[in-house]
Amino acid sequence: MYIKVKDLVGENAMTLDDGAAIYNQIHDPLVQGQVVQLDFEGVEVFASPFFNAGVGHLLADLQPDALNNHLKFEHLSDFGIRVLRRVIDNAKEYYAANQSHRNAIDRIVQDNAANG
Amino acid sequence: MATLTLQIPTINDSRLDFTVLAKIWQDVAKAGNGTNVNFNFSSCGFLRPNAVVFLGALARLIQHRGGAPRFLVDTMQSQVSANLLQNGFAYAMGDDTQPWQGNSIPYREYSQIDKNAIVYSLKNEWLGRGWVNISHDLMNEIAGRMSEIYVNAFDHSLTPIGVYSCGQHFPNRRELTLAVADFGVGIPSKVRFQEGEAFAGADAMRWAFTRGNSTARQIHGPRGMGLDLLKEFVRVNRGRLEIYSHDGYACIDSTGEMYENLPVFFEGTLVQVRLVCDNKLYLLSSEIDSLAFF
Repeated sequence: MYIKVKDLVGENAMTLDDGAAIYNQIHDPLVQGQVVQLDFEGVEVFASPFFNAGVGHLLADLQPDALNNHLKFEHLSDFGIRVLRRVIDNAKEYYAANQSHRNAIDRIVQDNAANG
Repeated sequence: MATLTLQIPTINDSRLDFTVLAKIWQDVAKAGNGTNVNFNFSSCGFLRPNAVVFLGALARLIQHRGGAPRFLVDTMQSQVSANLLQNGFAYAMGDDTQPWQGNSIPYREYSQIDKNAIVYSLKNEWLGRGWVNISHDLMNEIAGRMSEIYVNAFDHSLTPIGVYSCGQHFPNRRELTLAVADFGVGIPSKVRFQEGEAFAGADAMRWAFTRGNSTARQIHGPRGMGLDLLKEFVRVNRGRLEIYSHDGYACIDSTGEMYENLPVFFEGTLVQVRLVCDNKLYLLSSEIDSLAFF
């Protein structure tokens, strides 16, 4: 599966919604064992919420080895690579944490967001 | 309908000046919904960008609560009115005069996260004016790191009235500044809601600046890298990042990090970034390597 990221999010890959747009395209194919190529040609500006929602979130139910083998990144800028690595390290810690503790934090944060 | 008149003094960008801004916010908050607010500038010699974004956000907050803000132009000294005309603040508040280019980075209001407009402003109105000599790639990197401020403001603060930014180039100080404000719930109050009420303002700010910690909605998985990326950026560039939020204060520069409680609180967050603007290239270290990503 080949995805040109710029076609989905434009040249600024920044927001949670941008990341969710990528995640929604690639999650199921990755679960099914397909190889996914994310081509970042033409994407110029990156912010961490994009990678958190688009890539870090994959670690919730996919193993690092599987992602190393099946998810490929192309034409990613130096800064994009740096942010992506940070996000992945952070996500691995997050998902390695005790599941019940994580659920509790997520529930509180979501309630907080819902209550404004 | 009640009318409140506030005296706006000269407002620089020190912590004492922030206290002045927070007290102005408190006066407006105490006045209640529907109050009209006049801003008198007769004792004001100048306003730094932090004050401009704060007053802009305050004007929208007053409107949001059913009142009308009124900036008493007749009370302004010429340099104050010239600054507010040049940076577009006056135009945003209804004046007919179009802003013009000078040393100001234009005043901007974002009612929702408009990433393309934010990046455009950062790249063309802040970085791309010739005040810093940077490559295309580095401009994109700085825009990305700075955009974390805006994305954070929308994701964390739940601001009802949007996010406001403005900046200034100070040639004599060789400094480039950017101020971003919102009147959302503030970082310490969100940390307390999530982690417990025992956090003092300073402790809450320290928690929020720790890598991996986040008060943002985690619907899409883990968060908590934005402030870390921003910290790294200002340190490398010998700049300074200051965040005033609720009753907490954080200051990050090349010498370290400082977190303190604030004596006067306001509901919201004010971010100030200062960069040294001396025409030297900012370093862009490469992390290209062959290690697996996951």
